[in-house]
Amino acid sequence: MAPSRGLQPLQTALRRLLDGSGSIPGVRRTFSSFSETLADQANKVQRYISHSNDPYLNLTIEDHILRNSPPDAAVLFLYTNRPCVVIGRNQNPWLEVNLSILNPAKTQQAKDTEPPAIGSVDLVRRRSGGGTVFHDEGNVNWSITSPRGDFTRDKHAEMVVRALRKLGIDRARVNERHDIVLDQGHSRSNSDPLDTHRTPYMIDQGGPRPLKVSGSAYKLTRARALHHGTCLLASPNLHIIPDYLHSPARPYLKAKGVESVSSPVGNIGLQNEIFQKYVLEEFAIMYGQTGKQLDIKSVGEEYLKLPEIRKGYEEIRTADWMYSQTPQFSLSNSKINEEASQKKTLTREVKFPDGIDMHLTVHHGIIKECDIHGPHATTAEFQNIQSRLLHRKVQDIRDWHSLLTGGSPSGGRTASEIAHWLNEIMPVVDIAER
Amino acid sequence: MAARLSIVRAARQFTSSVIHRPSLIVPASCQRWQGATPSRLFSGTSAVASDKKYTPDHEWFTTTNGTATLGISSYAAKALGDVVYIELPEVGLEISAGDAIGAVESVKSASDILTPVGGKVVEVNTKLEEKPSTVNQDPEGEGWIAKIEVQGEAEGETMSAEEYKKFTEEQ
Repeated sequence: MAPSRGLQPLQTALRRLLDGSGSIPGVRRTFSSFSETLADQANKVQRYISHSNDPYLNLTIEDHILRNSPPDAAVLFLYTNRPCVVIGRNQNPWLEVNLSILNPAKTQQAKDTEPPAIGSVDLVRRRSGGGTVFHDEGNVNWSITSPRGDFTRDKHAEMVVRALRKLGIDRARVNERHDIVLDQGHSRSNSDPLDTHRTPYMIDQGGPRPLKVSGSAYKLTRARALHHGTCLLASPNLHIIPDYLHSPARPYLKAKGVESVSSPVGNIGLQNEIFQKYVLEEFAIMYGQTGKQLDIKSVGEEYLKLPEIRKGYEEIRTADWMYSQTPQFSLSNSKINEEASQKKTLTREVKFPDGIDMHLTVHHGIIKECDIHGPHATTAEFQNIQSRLLHRKVQDIRDWHSLLTGGSPSGGRTASEIAHWLNEIMPVVDIAER
Repeated sequence: MAARLSIVRAARQFTSSVIHRPSLIVPASCQRWQGATPSRLFSGTSAVASDKKYTPDHEWFTTTNGTATLGISSYAAKALGDVVYIELPEVGLEISAGDAIGAVESVKSASDILTPVGGKVVEVNTKLEEKPSTVNQDPEGEGWIAKIEVQGEAEGETMSAEEYKKFTEEQ
C-alpha cells in the first residue's frame, strides 16, 4: 500500500538523511517495475490481479496494459469492482441506466421506489464497445490483451469455459454473441466435452432460455486486442439489477450509438478465489506455460502514483467522458422510441404539461435544437424556456428547475412543470463526488 | 501546410522522388503563416489529387488542395465486421498526426481511427451517423470519415495501394 500522506514526507526526509540520494527505494521501485515488467519484451505471458475494487482504476490499469505490453505478449488481468453500472463506449447513460437511483442518499426520488439495499452505485463509461453491465463483488472480471493478428472474438471466452468446466460447470458454453451462458435443459444429450460451443443441456427449440453469466467487450488497437468479460459467480444483487438498467427515460429518447441487448442472467455459484485460480491456470496453459513458473503480480491503488495511470484515471472520471461522449440523441415528451414503449419499462409516470410538445436534440453533450410549442402557453414563455435550454451543456445541469425558472417561484408554471419532468427523465449524476 | 503540398503536387508531375526533397521542408514555426495564403497560388495544378496512401493502422487518405480525406481501408472494414457506430470528430478540432480522431464500433469492439496527418478537421461525413453500414459497403468511397486541412507532412509510415496490399497479405 502507498504510504499515507502524512507519513511520506517524513519517510522521504529520513531517507535523504540516511542515504543522501533522495530516492524512495521500496515504493517507487515497485511502481516503475510494473511499467518496466509490463513492457519488457522478454515477458511474453503475464498475469496480474487487482486488490482494488475501484472500477475507474481497474479499467485504467487495463488500458495501461493494452497500451504498454509488448506487441507479441499475452497478458491476463483479473479484477472485481464494487457495485457499479458500466456502459459501453458509445452508449447513452440516460437511455441505459436508471440514474436517479444510483445514489439514493442524494436524491429525493428514493422514497418513491423500493430502497436499494446496496447504497451508492458508481456510473462508469468504459473504453471498449458493447452494452451495459452491472458489476458487484460477486462478479469477477477477466481481461486478456493479446496480439491482434491471432485475435478472435471467441478464443478467450472459450478459455474461460474450459476453466469453468474443470470446476464442474458443464452447462457453460460460448454463445453466438461471444457471451458465456449456462444451458438450462433438464436432460442430458450427447455432446463433445471439448466443444466449448455445445453442452449436453442445450435446448434447440423452446424450453427455458440459457442464463447469461458472462458478457464480452473488446478494444482494438493497431497491434493489440483487449478482450474483457464479466463473470457472475455469486452476486447478491441479481433481483435488483433490472431496476438499475431500466430507465424511465427510455420511451422518450431516440439515440444513435449502441443499444444494449438484455438477457436473463444467473449466478454460477462459485467463490471468486477458486474461479480466479482456475482462470489463471487455464490462461497459463493456453499460452504454453505452466502455472507454477509464472508470476502473479498484485496491482492496485498505489499505481495511481504513476502519472500515466493517474491521467487515465482522471480522464475516465470526467463528466465530459461520461456525458458528452454520448452519441447524438433526441428527447421528446411524446413516446418517440416505439420499440422501448412496447417493452417493459420502469413506469414512474411523470406528468408533462398538457397541450405542449417539446423536442430537444443533443449532440456532443450540447442542446443543439429546441422546438417547443402548443396552445397552452404563451410565445414569450416558450421563448424564455428555449433560450434557457439552447446551447447548454447537459452535463453542467444539476437542477433543471433552477435552470428553467431562474430559481424564482414566478418563473412560470409551464417552465416549472417541464423542469420537473426533465429532472426525472434527464438527471445528471456527479461522478467526481462519488 | 497547403503551400508545401501544392508545390509537391505540381512538382510530382515531373518526378515522383521530389516528395522528400529537403528544400521543401519548412520550419515548424512558419507553418501557420504558410497555411494562410497558398492554395490560390497553385489553383491551376493543385486540383489533381495525390495518390491514395495507406497507413499500417489501416487508414487511407488522399490529399487535394491541402485537404486530406481520411477513411478506413476495405481490408479493415472487412476485418471489423458489421459497423454499428462511428464516433466522428467535431468540425474545427485541431489535431496532430498520430491522434485518435474517432473510433469505429463493430460487434462489441471499439477501434480507434488514427490520423496520419495533423491540422484542422473541416468536414465530417455526417451520413455515417444515419448509416454506419456505409463503412462496410463502400469504405474507400462513400464511407469516408473526415476531411482535414493539413498542416505539416504525414507522419509515420505510409504506403501506396500496392505496398499496402502486400502488407495486408503478410498480416
